[in-house]
Amino acid sequence: MQKFDIADGVRLCAVPTDKFKTCRINISMAMPLDSNASARAVLPYFLHRRCAKYPDFTALNRQLDELYGASISGGVHKKGEAQIISMSLTAIDDRFALNGDKVALECAELLADMIFDPIKQGESFPENIIEQEKHLLVEDIENEINDKRRYATRRCEEIMFADEAYSINHMGKADEVKALTPQDVYDAWEEELREATVQITMVGSMDVEPVVEMFKARFAEIHRNPAEIKTQFITAVPKPEYVCETMPLKQGKLVMGFRTGMRNEDDNAAPMRIAVDIFGGGTYSKLFSVVREKMSLCYYCSAGLFNSKGVVIVRSGIEDANEEKAKKEIINQLSLVAAGEFSDDDFSASIKSISDSIISNNDTPETICAWYSNQLMRTNIKTPEAYVEELKAVDRQQVVSAAKTIMLDTVFMLKSEGEVSENEDQ
Amino acid sequence: MKISEIRNEQLNDVYFDIDHPSGLKILVMPKAGYESTYAIFATKYGSIDTMIQLEDGSFKQIPEGTAHFLEHKLFESEDLDAFERFAKTGASANAYTSFDRTGYLFSCSANFKKNLEILLDFVQNPYFTQATVEKEQGIIGQEIDMYKDVPDWEVMFNCLRTMYHNLPVRIDIAGTQESIAQISADVLYGCYKNFYNLNNMVLAVAGNTTVEDVIEVADAVLKPVEGKMAQRKIIDEPKEVISDYCEETLSVATPQFMLGFKEHWDTPERTTKEEITMEILMDMLSGSSSELYRRLFDMKLINSGFGAEYFTGFNYSCVLFSGESADPKAVADEIKKEIRKFRENGIDEKTFERTKKKLYGRMIMGMNDVDNIANNMVVSYFADETIFTDFEIYKTVTVDDVKDMLSKTLDENYSVLSVIKPSK
Repeated sequence: MQKFDIADGVRLCAVPTDKFKTCRINISMAMPLDSNASARAVLPYFLHRRCAKYPDFTALNRQLDELYGASISGGVHKKGEAQIISMSLTAIDDRFALNGDKVALECAELLADMIFDPIKQGESFPENIIEQEKHLLVEDIENEINDKRRYATRRCEEIMFADEAYSINHMGKADEVKALTPQDVYDAWEEELREATVQITMVGSMDVEPVVEMFKARFAEIHRNPAEIKTQFITAVPKPEYVCETMPLKQGKLVMGFRTGMRNEDDNAAPMRIAVDIFGGGTYSKLFSVVREKMSLCYYCSAGLFNSKGVVIVRSGIEDANEEKAKKEIINQLSLVAAGEFSDDDFSASIKSISDSIISNNDTPETICAWYSNQLMRTNIKTPEAYVEELKAVDRQQVVSAAKTIMLDTVFMLKSEGEVSENEDQ
Repeated sequence: MKISEIRNEQLNDVYFDIDHPSGLKILVMPKAGYESTYAIFATKYGSIDTMIQLEDGSFKQIPEGTAHFLEHKLFESEDLDAFERFAKTGASANAYTSFDRTGYLFSCSANFKKNLEILLDFVQNPYFTQATVEKEQGIIGQEIDMYKDVPDWEVMFNCLRTMYHNLPVRIDIAGTQESIAQISADVLYGCYKNFYNLNNMVLAVAGNTTVEDVIEVADAVLKPVEGKMAQRKIIDEPKEVISDYCEETLSVATPQFMLGFKEHWDTPERTTKEEITMEILMDMLSGSSSELYRRLFDMKLINSGFGAEYFTGFNYSCVLFSGESADPKAVADEIKKEIRKFRENGIDEKTFERTKKKLYGRMIMGMNDVDNIANNMVVSYFADETIFTDFEIYKTVTVDDVKDMLSKTLDENYSVLSVIKPSK
């Protein structure tokens, strides 16, 4: 991996390789997750479907067809209390282009055009296009309810992080988005270029130098003033909260939010990752082998660690009637991990499994790109190999200690039917 | 043992086709520079296989969802189940059941030979008891319920159920609560014997491996069995759909739709050329650079979730357009209008050439990931092809082929609009 400084708070990471048939380039831009989230969320929608050079998406898509079906995508997500907007382009590697076309460089230039040179109307964006993209974003926000797992997770987060920036939806709020003017979005775009922490990540056999120079020239026109991004880590939990809602469903969704006691994203991160994995990661985990396989309570029940916020989220799809049974068993399984009641086999299975999947990231341009672009806010970039070394250095006792610090914070149950009892005690 | 090399110069790819003495077809693509390996052991047995052929050639019905149930159960054995064995090696293992096949797979970046041994071994050693079958009815029961809340799953099966009178493709892959209740250990053993003989299966491996390593493990673990490739029964299906419209109410924000065009052919399976020609036609008609796509967007009738698929398999083929829309009927009308326009105006040469260029790129992109490659090898083998067939055939498709395809398909008299409406 090669690293280049492009501008203040902007860097480019290149992973040169000719083992793939495609190349990929991603630009990720991070800003604090705050009250301006809705305006920023419109940006990837607006920017990835057109630019001054290709002013509508039919023209843009025809150009992408000419670039051998190159595909462009834009999105917004959160990492800790940062809102990250990103755009990616995947294209065939130059070796497979006909007539010596330089696909990769053309794609990098296209991506830069889309970020720096959008279609404008004076010092703003065209109203009809912004209206169209706002409409699409609102639909995406509202459609979250179609995916009940995601919806229930989001509700749990809203309750658990009510007093923290983490509760802000990175997609924005529907009514806020509706109220945005083209000027609001334009201002958010200018602010993003000026203040975001930015990383451009490239994977493929293309020449890196021209791309570095091109982005340097583009950013040289901007007066950079990167904003500070901080995430709040909460290490003490009062009495766990319980909220239940209903919806006409076939299957109930149980979401349980835990705090890990981590004080920053690197704090005890490797032992915590293994502890959470033994608790509810792979098929050897407590939740899979006991709650699903032995007790036959559900089709899925798993735990995920979000170390950028220091929390663990457990999710399961169960029958309403099994709610108490499932909750009790999930908590019991966590206490078993914290009591050191897991075998040496489980411990080594976890390290092997996590390491194996991390090393496998090296085998697709998309996963390599994601591995590095996910680190855009880190000063020291870790390779997959270095991360695996950290995992392998962890001992059992560290895992037990990590599990002991995991505390239940919030339980959210989306019931399919029946009576709702609110604020029930745990 | 016969080993042949299959090569494509333009892609600079090569893989090996091995006729193993056990009767199993083995396909291996070693990939230089890759750290991981993906292996899939698959049988030509999916949810559409609802009948077993008996000795006398007649067919016997089996409960819906049996292929999927069997997939779940094969992971178990008398002592350590397959997941426990893979946990010792660090591989990530899984399985899936589709309409026409079942695949057991793992990917790993270490201990490849051990992992392959586990894969071949557990799939060859079924172990079912009435107690373990009953336990699985609970888990799969929850899986079936989960899908009933997933709108894009429901919109598709409602569409297929309204399109087909008799074909088993109308059945949910996991079956129903009622049908899985009829599954017993005996039923599973019967299906296993019929569909899991090595002559009805294929092993495909891609990534950080060699032909020698794969053969070494295969020699040690594969047990030759009696059996042949299972035959599928051709089922009569009227040309007509059951109804041109169906709807269901679920907790969704925006209505979801699927517009399907049923096809009627004299042969049970579509050729590669037909499939590629159809893909070009669909992209020209409704792809992201088409006029229709633009118009639907401008009318705020679709979002980026809009897409089209040529859905084909043994005995069935249909074109499916799907997405989310405030007004599904208006979308369906626009699609039908565009099809009529295409019929009247003919096929534009320039658009055709651009679409082919895109398709060329997309086919190359499909040759990147080891999981894609291995799954492609399975599908191609069951279709009697190589993974490079598409790449060669696409070059031969002409504008006239597309015109000809258009004249045979997308007939609105045989279409179904399936809609999921929001509850409220």
